[in-house]
Amino acid sequence: MEPIFSAEGSQEKAEMARLTSFVGAMAVGDLVKSTLGPKGMNKILQSASGDGINVTNDGATILKSIHLDNAAAKILVNISKVQDDEVGDGTTSVCVLASELLREAEKLVMAKIHPQTIVEGFRIASAAALKALENAAVDNGSDPAKFRNDLLNIARTTLSSKVLSQDKDYFANLAVDAVLRLQGSTDLEHIQIIKKAGGKLTDSYLDEGFILDKTIAVNSPKRIQNAKILIANTSMDTDKIKVFGARIKVDSTGKLAELERAERDKMKAKVAAIASHGINCFVNRQLVYNYPENLLAEQGIMSIEHADFEGVERLSLVTGGEIASTFDRPDLVKLGHCDLIEEIMIGEDKLIKFSGVAAGQACTVVLRGSTNQMIDEAERSLHDALSVLSQTVRETRIVLGGGCAEMLMSCAVEEEARKVAGKRALAVEAFARALRQIPTILADNAGYDSSDLVTRLRAAHYDGKADFGLDMNNATIESMHKLGVTESYKLKRQVIVSASEAAEMILRVDTILRAAPRKREAH
Amino acid sequence: MSKPSAPAKSNASGANASFDDKSKSKDSRYANIVAARAISDVVRTSLGPKGMDKMIITAKNEVIITNDGATILRNIQAFHPAAKMFVDLSAAQDIEAGDGTTSVVVLAGSLLGAAEKMLEKGMHPTIIAESFLKASAKAVEYLTEMSTPIKLQDRKTLERAATTSLNSKIVSQFSTLLAPIAVSAVTRLLTPTSTNVDLRDIRIVKKVGGTIEDTELVEGVVLNQNVVTSGGGPRRMEKAKIALIQFQLSAPKPDMDNTVVVNDYRQMDKVIKEERAYILEMCKKIKKWGCNVLLIQKSILRDAVNEISLHFLAKLKILVVKDVERDEINFLSKSLGCKPIADVDSFSEDKLGYADLVEETTKAEASIVKIMGVKNPGKTVSVLCMGGSHVVLEECERSLHDALCVVRCLVKKRALIAGGGAPEIHVSRLLSQYAHTLKGMEAYCFQAYADALEVIPSTLAENAGLNPIAIVTELRNRHALGEHNAGINVRKGLVSNILEEEVVQPLLVSTSAVELSTETVSLILKIDEILWSR
Repeated sequence: MEPIFSAEGSQEKAEMARLTSFVGAMAVGDLVKSTLGPKGMNKILQSASGDGINVTNDGATILKSIHLDNAAAKILVNISKVQDDEVGDGTTSVCVLASELLREAEKLVMAKIHPQTIVEGFRIASAAALKALENAAVDNGSDPAKFRNDLLNIARTTLSSKVLSQDKDYFANLAVDAVLRLQGSTDLEHIQIIKKAGGKLTDSYLDEGFILDKTIAVNSPKRIQNAKILIANTSMDTDKIKVFGARIKVDSTGKLAELERAERDKMKAKVAAIASHGINCFVNRQLVYNYPENLLAEQGIMSIEHADFEGVERLSLVTGGEIASTFDRPDLVKLGHCDLIEEIMIGEDKLIKFSGVAAGQACTVVLRGSTNQMIDEAERSLHDALSVLSQTVRETRIVLGGGCAEMLMSCAVEEEARKVAGKRALAVEAFARALRQIPTILADNAGYDSSDLVTRLRAAHYDGKADFGLDMNNATIESMHKLGVTESYKLKRQVIVSASEAAEMILRVDTILRAAPRKREAH
Repeated sequence: MSKPSAPAKSNASGANASFDDKSKSKDSRYANIVAARAISDVVRTSLGPKGMDKMIITAKNEVIITNDGATILRNIQAFHPAAKMFVDLSAAQDIEAGDGTTSVVVLAGSLLGAAEKMLEKGMHPTIIAESFLKASAKAVEYLTEMSTPIKLQDRKTLERAATTSLNSKIVSQFSTLLAPIAVSAVTRLLTPTSTNVDLRDIRIVKKVGGTIEDTELVEGVVLNQNVVTSGGGPRRMEKAKIALIQFQLSAPKPDMDNTVVVNDYRQMDKVIKEERAYILEMCKKIKKWGCNVLLIQKSILRDAVNEISLHFLAKLKILVVKDVERDEINFLSKSLGCKPIADVDSFSEDKLGYADLVEETTKAEASIVKIMGVKNPGKTVSVLCMGGSHVVLEECERSLHDALCVVRCLVKKRALIAGGGAPEIHVSRLLSQYAHTLKGMEAYCFQAYADALEVIPSTLAENAGLNPIAIVTELRNRHALGEHNAGINVRKGLVSNILEEEVVQPLLVSTSAVELSTETVSLILKIDEILWSR
C-alpha cells in the first residue's frame, strides 16, 4: 500500500493515541507532584546550554523550562502557564489535578467506558464542585479590617509552600502592604523587586518610591529635593551621521581641529536644549559621555547614564514623565517628578532612590538572601503572593485551604453522583476521587500517613465539620478557619475549571498526527 | 468522630511510617550533599590562624596563593549545581561581613553532614530543614547574648578584632602593622551618625618592591600611575594646582571618519605646523589657569598625550600623569577636591584642586606618586601596599580588605564576641540544653545542629596540629564549668580564656555565618530532583 503520510510524519490511532496522552500527562503530574504544598520539595533546574542553575518549587517555572515531547504533556504545561498569568499561583495544583483526573479516566477507559461518557460525567462533577465551592466562599470585602486579615492569611498560605515559609509572617505583611498601595490595580509593574545577594531573607524590606540600580555620574549633585526629571533615550556622545561610509576630507590639521570644535559646540547646544527644560535630573538610557556630563553638572543637573530600557520605562511609569528623544520643544515634553533623589547603600552597592514619586502607589521590594538561587526563588514566591493578593483585592471572596476546599468539593461531587443514573455516575465518582488526591499528595509530601489523614478528613466533612483540613505542622486534621489557612476563591475556581477542561480536551483525543518537520535549506 | 485521642496516636507511631522516599529523589539528594561537602572539604584546611594556603592556577594561567575562602571558591570552577550554591554562599558572606568566608562554608558542610545522617535514619528533609532554621534563630540569639557591646572610639578593641582576622592570613606576622592601618582607614571615614562605610572610599594602591613592612597609610593621596617623564617634565611640584582632565592633548580627531588629503610637500609642512599650533594653544590655555599638575584620563580612541604635547608641557613646567581610569575619577575628584574637566575651554578656578606637594619618590625600588597636603580633602583614604611580588601583594590586599571589612562590621553592628571557637562551643552547649526541652523530631534536629557547630573548634584544632577530640572535649568541659570565654589558644596549643589572648571577632561575622549557612543548607535539603532545562 502506498503510504499516506510523508516519510517523517506519523500517526497514532485510538488506543495508542490515548495511551500516549495518558502517559505524558501523568508523567508531568508526577514530576511536579512532589513540589505541592507547604512541605513540598524543590527542584534544581540545570541549564543544558549555559551554567545557570535555578532552585525552585514553582510549578510554572519548572514546567516552562523543561523539554517535553508529548502533546498532552504540553497541554498541561500550557494550563499551568495560563494559571500563572491569570492568578499567579496554584500552577502546581492545576497540573496535578488535571493529571489525577486523567489517571482516573484511564481506569474508566480500561473498564470499557466510552471517553465521551467520561467527559459527560466530568462535566456534571465539575459543575457540582464549583457550586459547592461558591457556596463555601466567604466575602469580607466590605470590612477593611477583616479583609486585611484575610489578605494576610492568603499571603501566609501562599508563602508557606515556598522558600519563604520560615519567614512567612514577615513577607505576608510586606506583600499585603505592597498590594494595598496599588489601590485595586492588578498592575504589578508598580511593584519593583530588586535583588541583592548578601544578608538574610528577613533583611528584605519594602520601601516607598523607586530604586534604580545605577550610579549617579561623578560630580553631579548626589541629592536633589523636589526633582524635575527628564527621561531620555538619546545618544550623548555625538550625533553621528548615520550614513554608511560618511567621511570628511580635509587638507590640514587645523580644519580637523575646527571640526572637532564644531562637534563639541553641537553637543553643547544639545545640552543647553536639555537644560532649557528646567530640569535638575537627567536620566538617559544610553551612555552620557564626560563632556556633556560635565556641562550638565555645571548647571547643577544630576545625570544618570545607561539606565537600560527597563529602568527608563519604569521610571517613566512611576514618575509620570515621558521618554524624550528630541529636545527642541520643551513645552511639549512631560517631565517626571519626585520629592527626593538620593543615593542609598544596599549591601556593598550604591543605588539611586527616587522617593515621593508622582505615582503614589509605586513601591520597591528589596530582597536579600544568602545565594542568588535563594533570591531568585524568593522573588518568584513573592511574585506569586503579590499576584494572588492583587487578584483577591478585585475578587474579594475567599475559601479555606489545606485540602479543605478540595475535600468539600469531593464530598459534594459524591453526593451528586448518587443522583446520576447510568455509566456517567462512575465518572462523577472518579472526579471526586481525583479531588481527594490533592490532600493526599499534601500529606505524602510532608511524610505523613496520607491514607489515615485523608480518610479522617473525609469523615470529618461528612460529620458536618466543613472547615476541616490538614494541619501540616502537627500531622492531624484541624479547623482551617482556626489556623487561618485561606486561599483565594478565584484561584481555586480557576484550578478546577482549567484542570477539568484540559482533562476533557485530552480525553477527546483519538488520533495524534505528527507533521513531517519542515525541511531547512542547507546554507 | 472522636478527635483528641486519634491524632496523638498516629503522631507517635506513624508520622514517618508511610514516608516512602523515591529512590530517584534519594539519589539526587545524596549527590547534592556529596558535591557540596566536597567544596567545603576543599577550604576546610584553610580555616584559622594555622590554616594552610591554596595555590590556584586560573584559566588564564595566573597563579594565586591564598587562604581566603571566598577567593578560593570564586576561582574553583564548580560544576555541580549544589557546589555552585556553596560558592555563592561564600560570596554572600563576603558581601555581608567580608570575613568568615571559610567558616561559613565549613559550617554549611558540617550541617549537611549532620542532615545526611538524619536522612539515613528516614527523617523527612523538610522537617530537618525547618528545624535547622529554627535552631539558627536560637543560635543567633545566644550569640547576641554573649557578645559585648563596644564603642567606636575604642581603638584598642577595634585593632584587636582586626588583628584576629589578619592572624589567619599569610600576612599574619605583619598583623601588628596592618591592623592599625585598617582601623585608622575606616575610622577616618566615620561620621558620628554613620552605620555603614563604603569601602570604595578606601583605595589600596599596590606597588611591587620592598616588603609588606613598607605598607603604610598615606596622608594624602597615592596614585596608581607614575609621572610621565619622557618629555623631560618635572617630577616634583610644590604648591600644586591640580587639574583632572578628560580630554586629550594630541592631534585633533573628530568623531566622524576623516582623512587628511595631502597633495604636495608644502601642505605636509602645514599639517605638522598646524598640529603643533593646535597643541600649543591647548597647553597655553591650561597654563593660563595656573595649573601645574595634570592628571589625564585614559582614552581608547586616541593618545592621551604625544611627544609634542609632552615637550610643551615640560617647557611650561607642568607635571603630567596619564592613564587615569574612568572609574578612578570619582575617587580622585573626591579626595583632591577638584572636578573633572572635559573640555579645554571649560577650565575654571573652582575645578582645580590644590595641594602643597606632588612628588614622585622612589621607595624600595618602586616609584610612587604622592599628593600631600590637599587643601579641601574629601573623606577618602589611600593605603600604599608594598610587597616582594605580585602574588604576595594580591594576598596582602585581600587580607587587608578582610581586616577593613571586620572593622566595618563593627560599625554596622557594634558588638564583639570571643574568637577561637569559644562562641561555637558556647552556642552548641546551650542549644543542646535547649534541645532537651523539646520533643519529637525537632529535639533530634536541634541536637544534631548543636553537634554540627563543633566543626569550627575541631577544625581549628586539627589545622593547628592539635588533637581535635581532646581539645573539643576539654572546651566543652570548661564551658560546662562556666568559663564562657574559654577557646582554643592556637599559638600556645591549649585551651585558655580567649578574651585574655585578645582574640575577638565582630558579632556580625558569626551571626551572618550561622544564618547564611543554614539558609543554604535548608534550600539544598529541600531539593529532590535535578532537571535539565533549556
